[in-house]
Formats: sequence, structure tokens, C-alpha cells
Amino acid sequence: MTHMEIERFGEQGIRVILGTAVDDRTHEQVRRFFLYIRSLQPPGVIDVIPSFRSCLIHFDRDRADYERLSSLIVKTEREWIEMPLPQPRRFEIPVRYGGDYGPDMDFVCSYSGLSAQEVIEVHSSVTYRVFALGFMPGFPYLGILDKRIYVPRQETPVLKVPQGSVGLAQLQTGIYPFESPAGWRIIGRTMKRLFDHDQEPFSLFNFGDLVRFVQS
Amino acid sequence: MIEVAGAGFLSIIVDSGRYGHAHIGVPPSYALDRFSYVLLQYLLDNPNNAPAIEVMGNDLRLRFAEEMIFAITGAKVAATLDDIPIPGWSAIKARKGSFLRVREVKEGLRYYIGFSGTMDIGPVLGSHTTNLECNFGGFHGRPLIKGDTIPLKNVRARGELKMVPDTMIPSMQEPHMIRVIAGPEADRFVPRSAAFLSNRKDAVFFNATSRLNRTGVRLEGTPFEFRQEVEKSIISEGILPGTVQVPPDGLPIISLAERTVGGYARIAMVADIDMDRLAHIKPRDRVFLRAIDIDEADRLWRARRDALSFYCKKQ
Repeated sequence: MTHMEIERFGEQGIRVILGTAVDDRTHEQVRRFFLYIRSLQPPGVIDVIPSFRSCLIHFDRDRADYERLSSLIVKTEREWIEMPLPQPRRFEIPVRYGGDYGPDMDFVCSYSGLSAQEVIEVHSSVTYRVFALGFMPGFPYLGILDKRIYVPRQETPVLKVPQGSVGLAQLQTGIYPFESPAGWRIIGRTMKRLFDHDQEPFSLFNFGDLVRFVQS
Repeated sequence: MIEVAGAGFLSIIVDSGRYGHAHIGVPPSYALDRFSYVLLQYLLDNPNNAPAIEVMGNDLRLRFAEEMIFAITGAKVAATLDDIPIPGWSAIKARKGSFLRVREVKEGLRYYIGFSGTMDIGPVLGSHTTNLECNFGGFHGRPLIKGDTIPLKNVRARGELKMVPDTMIPSMQEPHMIRVIAGPEADRFVPRSAAFLSNRKDAVFFNATSRLNRTGVRLEGTPFEFRQEVEKSIISEGILPGTVQVPPDGLPIISLAERTVGGYARIAMVADIDMDRLAHIKPRDRVFLRAIDIDEADRLWRARRDALSFYCKKQ
């Protein structure tokens, strides 16, 4: 069955840990809890940040406290633990791989021993989940990457990669929504806009969406 | 209207923060010294979340295109209005055409300037604060530059000229004593490194590096040492401002207002009572981290909230 742990996180945070492994089962529990707590809108909850194995609740101390919120979470466990999940949305993201678009493709090839075309095939053959959004607005942490194209992060982050850069780091892949410093290995670029502060929905992706890359 | 005749080193429009969007990675980007920011609004009779300018550096110059009241809080500065010295932490009347010049920062790093009117800039994702990395919010998503004009509406030219008593103005002088609470990965460090978390007399000492901005403050000194058998990074997870993260090299980074997710071991969290102090850490400043327990942190925060309640009645 499920494995839920509740911990304080500083003075204004509660960490709700819903599993130990990075896998679909833990992800689904995080998604259930996230959707439930957002729909419940407990007074004083400012933000809920879902990620691979947990949700971090940020609360306003003038309107809520740790004891009451954590007992609410324990008490309502039955309501979300078996909750049917809505179907995740599916996205296809066109990517131009390699060359100027993917300056680290050569590194990934030599690290993995695969040709560029093989790296592309492996990368675009998996349907990834959005396990978290963060680092920057709209940046999706996508997993789980095929082990054959596992690469370590850059030792020293690159100062600037262009908007839309698609990167790899350990067993994750992700897309930079803005020009940014980057510690991931960049293998391609998409022209798709991931975040628009002027227009709702602001982020192309939501937590739990399914994403597939398509070579363009 | 305010005309920017010189923008100092970095001037951006901030407010009490952008909340409610952290699940899509949008950080709070709030005014880093919230105490100074709240007292600025008190001096000006503004709402608690009114936009203000957060400034770093000498030689800020502003021209008032109309009569109004303004104030400066935060870092202690030497400033003049039409070449006459003016005090900080006080409401001051400016005439039409008056010229404000902040000549020098004397103590602290960031100062806040506000006006008795509403900055007429649109909110983005519910807030007026600037997200500098992604260029949205604030003044067209960017720092102020010479030649900008900031539109103001509902400007009040009259009002009580309030001041904040000296005893309320915090010290911003280094060394900075930062109180912390143990974080979720505190147990990944060798006893020698984690001892300060259980022995409250034992502060650990670092120097601030020049790698500091609104995202975080990177410290240098004796590295925290990971235990041999543990993973040095964590599976990325939510963080809050004030999280003290330790990358594999052992040198801590205190996260400020621009990240919602982190992947480094979280050895500690800065107590809320000392969060504002983080806004005033400068390169090479001495920084001591000293542990307190969460109940003490809570008591300190409540005591200050009560002391502040007089100054922020309007919510």
C-alpha cells in the first residue's frame, strides 16, 4: 500500500512524501494528492509544489499552522488514496536535433557509444512524464530516460543556452523555456513556446502530462 | 510620474511576491528585505503589497515630475533632495521638479524607495514584482535604466510625514548571524559537519562570495562533508526561500526568491526572523550559521509579528 510521511519543512512548509522510488506508482500518488489538495483549497495554503516523490506545501502562518494542516492531510487520506486520476494530456514536441541546435550531441554520442541517429531514436521513442516543473517557470523535468543515453551533468554550467534547448541529465530530459544558464547536456532545440506570462494557461505543460519528442 | 536620471547598479520594481503559481515553476521574486518593504508602505500609507523600487548601488537619481511624498528604507544611505541631506526611514515631501540623489550606501546592500501613489504598471501573474531571469513583471520585465519614466496614479501630495523610530531599524552590518533550523538532508553529513545543528553554541563560519544575486548567496569556507555512503544530490524537490543547499563540493548556497525546486542536499533552513538579513549580505562579508529549534524560531517570529502589527494594520 501507500507510504505517506509528513515532515515539517522550515517554518512555513510541509513535506508530504508519497513514495521512495522514482516510478509511475509514486508519481500517481503524488498526482492524486496534488490534485486533491488543490481542489480542497485549505485556508492559508499559498502554494503546493509537486515533484518526483513528494509535494511541498507552503502555508501562510497567519492563517494556518503545521499541526492543523498535517492532521487534515492524515484525516483526508482515504478521500484521495483511491481517487481515479484524470487521463494525462499528451504532447508531441518537434525537435531539431544536433548541429548548432544540439552542441552536446557529440559528447552524448561518445559517452553512450551510440551514433547521433541512434541517440535521436532512443530519445524520441519514449513517452515521458512531467515529474515536476521548476528551475524556471514552465521547465519540465521529464523522465524516465532510457539508460543507454544516460549522461552526467556539466561539471560547470554553461552560461547561456537558447530558449527551447532540449537537454539530458542523468535519467531526465528537459526543455529550457527561456534563454538561461544550463547544467544539462543540450542535444536539440524546439521552437515550441513553453511559457507565456501574458496568457493563460501560462505554462504549456502541467504536472503529470505525457510528452514525446518528434524529430523535425 | 518619476523620471529615472540614474539607476544605480541594479534597480527593479518589486512587491510582496508572486504566489499561487509555484507548481508551474514560478518563483515568488518578492522584495528581499520584507521588513524594510513593509515599513516603507507604512510610511507612505500605501497598501501592504504596493510596488516599490529595490535598488543596489550608489548614485541613484530620480526626478519628481509632480509633488508627492516618498521614503527610503532598507540599507542605510547618504541621500539628498535638491542637494539637502535627507534621513532614511522617514516620509519626505518632494516638490514638482525635485531631484533625489542617493550618493552612497553606508550599511547594508539593498534599499527600497516608494511613493505616495500607485505605480501604473500592469500586474503579471497576479504581481507587480520583476522576474529578472525570465523578463516579466515589474517595469517591462527589466531593470530600470536612465531615461525611464515610471507612471504614477492617485498621487497624494499631502499627508502625515511619518518616521520609523531608530530603535526599529535593524543592523545590517557584517558579520551576519543567521539562525537556521535543521533541514531534511542534515543526516547526510558527517558528525563534524552536522554538529552545529545540535549544539546551539557552535556556529559555523563562512564568507560570502561574489556569486550572489536574487537567486541565492553562495558561501565559501570549510566545506560541509558528506558521509561516505550517501548520495550527494537528491531527487529534485520543492524548496522555499531560505533553504541552505549543499552541492557536491560542500560549499553552501542559501536560496533566495527565484527558485521553487532544488536538487542539492538541504542541510538547513534559515529561520524567518533572519530572512531579511540575507538581502544585505555583500561579497566577502562574514556569515555565521547558528542552529535554533523550530519552536524558538516560531517564538521569535511571533514576537516580531506583534511588534510589527502596529505598522501593518491594513491587510
